[in-house]
Amino acid sequence: MALLELKNVTKEFGGLVAVNQVSLEIDSGEFVGIVGPNGSGKTTLFNVINGVFFPEKGNIIFDGVDITRLPPFKRAPLGIGRTFQIPRPFSSATVRENVAVGAMFGTLSKKVNVDDSLEIADQIIDRIGLHEYTGKQAGTLTPVEKKLMEIARALAMKPKLLLMDEAMAGMHPNDIDQMVDLIKKIALEEKIAIVSMVEHIMRAVVGMVEKVIVLHQGSKIVDAPTKEALEDPKVIEVYLGHPPEETHAVS
Amino acid sequence: MKTISKYYPLLPVLAVYFIMFLVGKNVSGMWQLVAMLLFYCALGQAFNIFLGMTGYVDFGYVAFMGVGTYGMAVTITQLAHVEGLGFLVITIGFLMALLFSTLLSLAVGAVALRLKGAYFAIATIGVNEGLRFFIEGARIWNGSEGLIFMAELNQILGRKTASALATFWADIMVLFIAMSAAYVTLLFMRSKIGYALTALREDEEAAKVMGINVTKYKIIAFITSACFAGLLGAASWALKTPYVFPPEVFEIHYTIEAIIIVLLGGAGTLLGPVIGGLIYGLSKYYLSIYMPGFQLLIFAPIIIVIIVIFPEGIIGMLKNRFKDTSLARFII
Repeated sequence: MALLELKNVTKEFGGLVAVNQVSLEIDSGEFVGIVGPNGSGKTTLFNVINGVFFPEKGNIIFDGVDITRLPPFKRAPLGIGRTFQIPRPFSSATVRENVAVGAMFGTLSKKVNVDDSLEIADQIIDRIGLHEYTGKQAGTLTPVEKKLMEIARALAMKPKLLLMDEAMAGMHPNDIDQMVDLIKKIALEEKIAIVSMVEHIMRAVVGMVEKVIVLHQGSKIVDAPTKEALEDPKVIEVYLGHPPEETHAVS
Repeated sequence: MKTISKYYPLLPVLAVYFIMFLVGKNVSGMWQLVAMLLFYCALGQAFNIFLGMTGYVDFGYVAFMGVGTYGMAVTITQLAHVEGLGFLVITIGFLMALLFSTLLSLAVGAVALRLKGAYFAIATIGVNEGLRFFIEGARIWNGSEGLIFMAELNQILGRKTASALATFWADIMVLFIAMSAAYVTLLFMRSKIGYALTALREDEEAAKVMGINVTKYKIIAFITSACFAGLLGAASWALKTPYVFPPEVFEIHYTIEAIIIVLLGGAGTLLGPVIGGLIYGLSKYYLSIYMPGFQLLIFAPIIIVIIVIFPEGIIGMLKNRFKDTSLARFII
């Protein structure tokens, strides 16, 4: 059984159909990339999955439970973690406290008290390599550090599914490679399924994901293993326009 | 050892109150001023639990003090003719103040806390004004004529005790409310509630997707803060001055003062509202003595300057400055 299943999910804003009849399945432990140009509905799809918006039509099933109408704060403890495109740290709190919030509220266990959470936070901070920033206010970190902190915060929730919203945008290629390695390692160890949204940085997709889902104007046009998906004529058309026919004829 | 060190941040708060008490008790003619300062400190601490910890601005905050005052006033007027209750009436009065402020905060919170930012602030102004005109218009609790219960208080406690209550013991009750508010603030800060409130204050949407039931925690802070306001109204307004008129207890001016105190001292800090209350109360008192009539004109720019220089409030600034020193565990 799939970990996450979307059945004909539609989300409209007034007359605009942001997500149109999308069905998809994510298996546990799978690495999936959601690809699509600006405005193709990627962020809305994420927001529908973690409950910021409720869909007009369709169903969302996570881990065997229908979560279509569940508010976000009830979905997160089931195992849905999220990072944002522009990091959203709790600025006045320290890195350690930020990560502890994830451990405190992001799991189903009611027994996690403040001290336990801080301990869990310390372990995760060590693993992510944010050790030297642990006492710093999150608002004073650099963008890359904030992104790492967000990932640590999401991992503290012990997610089964991690939604990463354009996590690599604006990062140096070296940092991207390091981060991809790190995330991959942790996700494999913890059996976390990762759905990563990618707008521009294809190298991160290719290096990381096993499957690519391509969105175009709110609809899913391709859902295939990475290599296959990126060579699909429909994808090339969406990104580059029509291939010039003459070139083919000449060669 | 660890459990004791948890309470270190209360020490400066208690020290300030202790010094205030000693000065008021031993320097002749000072008790009036100290009582006023205690009131402002208590007001700041009570409001800080909501404003400081959630970041929501409640412009109708004084309404909770208003209904608290009415809770005490109604109890005294209703129970005055019952023989032999004595101080029990005061206790019931405080319970009624708690009840009234809890009910009002539940009603307001359930509706208004769904709104954000400026919408919440405007809605709460409406609640305050609406309640005042409702009491006046529907002639509840004697409407705009108010309740005057000096005679009833004398009848219940005896003239001498009633006078001691108004001039001294009511202020001690305010002091006790202020200290309890400080204790509750620290408890919140050290528990899940505090973490949830910090998270939702900084980014409500991110807090939601991390599993925090933001509405629940906002309501917890709202009701707690409202209860302290209710008790404060009952002690400082009903018992000190045994009358209550709607325009006086629903006066938005007090909400503004409370906001200034919290921001001045440091929103969301433990010691901040105490320091804010002291600075505000002292400057208001002395400016009105030395430059009567001009105090607001002078005070406004001073507040603007302080808030521009220390946007996190005075204690917020000190907290950052002493972050890695041994003082850090006393200043939060």
